[in-house]
Amino acid sequence: MPQDAERAQLASDLGREARLVAGREIYFDREGFFWEADDWDEEIAIVLLRESGLAELTETHWKVLRYFREYYFYHGRAPLNRQLKEGIGLSLQVLESLFPGGIRKGARRLAGLPNPKSCF
Amino acid sequence: MTNRVIYLDNAATSYPKPPEVLDEMFRGYRDLGVSPGRGSYDLAVQAGDVVEGTRQKLARFFGAPDPNRVIFAANATDALNLVFNGLLRPGDHVVSTELEHNSVLRPLHHFRERGWIEYDLASCDGRGFVDPDEIVKHLRPNTRAVVVTHASNVLGTIQPVQQIGARCAERGVPLIVDASQSAGIIPVDMTAWHASAVAFTGHKALFGPTGIGGLVIHPDLDIRASRFGGTGIDSRELEHTPTFPHRLEAGTINVMGILGLSAGLDYIAQRSVHAIHSHEMALVTRLRDGLAGCAHVELYCAASLADHVAVITLNVQGIHPEDAGAILDADFQIAVRVGLHCAPLAHRHLGTLRRGAIRFSPGLFNTPEDIDRAVGALATLSVHK
Repeated sequence: MPQDAERAQLASDLGREARLVAGREIYFDREGFFWEADDWDEEIAIVLLRESGLAELTETHWKVLRYFREYYFYHGRAPLNRQLKEGIGLSLQVLESLFPGGIRKGARRLAGLPNPKSCF
Repeated sequence: MTNRVIYLDNAATSYPKPPEVLDEMFRGYRDLGVSPGRGSYDLAVQAGDVVEGTRQKLARFFGAPDPNRVIFAANATDALNLVFNGLLRPGDHVVSTELEHNSVLRPLHHFRERGWIEYDLASCDGRGFVDPDEIVKHLRPNTRAVVVTHASNVLGTIQPVQQIGARCAERGVPLIVDASQSAGIIPVDMTAWHASAVAFTGHKALFGPTGIGGLVIHPDLDIRASRFGGTGIDSRELEHTPTFPHRLEAGTINVMGILGLSAGLDYIAQRSVHAIHSHEMALVTRLRDGLAGCAHVELYCAASLADHVAVITLNVQGIHPEDAGAILDADFQIAVRVGLHCAPLAHRHLGTLRRGAIRFSPGLFNTPEDIDRAVGALATLSVHK
């Protein structure tokens, strides 16, 4: 099997799919979560946010995304629900309405954090 | 608003545990935390007495004829694996239901994928109940067992196990009951039901800790050993001990868990299973009725709560259930379980396989005020969508 085809097969077996975003090849899982949190940058986030249907990116959106990432890289995991609420200074009900896709598939996914893979 | 978390996930595990149970676990393990039945010193004998006494309590609790056929396991999944590994043979067929937890579905899938068995799953009706005749329709000459959950962990519906058991007994097919969601809430009488085995877990409505559960077996059912090792008896023999309960128990058993399970059974006996069920059903009925005015809340199989345990599953339109769970947790201090509840086919039946749903399961320590808080939170969520 040619090397590229082999890599593609391996990625598919792992539930990974590669996409070109802002000129870079990025791997996502089947739900659209980043495979590697390090692949995220603000340019890529802007493309993905626009794809998700968000017309206008406000400072509040960036504050949420940056909080997610800072917390994740400092603690090695996503914030607990109450930590998230306190950290962004918003109720999670407000957060849910800020991002198309809501909290998990919206904000968390677009911040580049891995798929939490809860009971699904 | 207080900071106390309103815990409504008792179908996953009861919380908090009764102080009496925790105290007895600590006291018992402090005083008798040695290897039970493995030595001749007094402490080992006394610890062994606790273990055997708990088997006797469990046998009475489940209407089982023989305390020696009460087998300790880590949980109900572990107990069901003992049944599947020790009962099924190549060429066998099994009948179960689409309401089962993955504790049943995954072992059956595992055996089928290897070409060892075949199985069929009976459907439930629109209210979440399996018709016993649906089970009968799937029976074959080589059906080795019928496996049925007593109460669905997604819908809360109590299945007609006694009628299913009667049909199985008429045809000589062993009935295996998963009592994970029912033991401690509704009476389980394996003799009256013609059940050949009952799998249970200790950490839900039996108020014990996690890590303890078991399997209660009727003497007519022969289950082979599927794990092997020390039992404290017959040590010269390399063959694993053939007599019950040791046949299905290998290695030192979970004394701390058994102490908690025993104390949990005492706790239930002081209150009565009926009283606990009545309390919980009053709460879940209050929840159901309180949500009647919420236009965007969709309840599943809750139009009638007759023959239910205290479980209600729902969705709020316009909010992913996982986000709803996070909002309830952070904004309202309410802990619920979201997702598929390890019962994917029950969700397929509801049409919620893709998104999952939100499950509310009040317990003995919840109050009407807790339920009113939950209703208020859901009303707030639904209004804003």
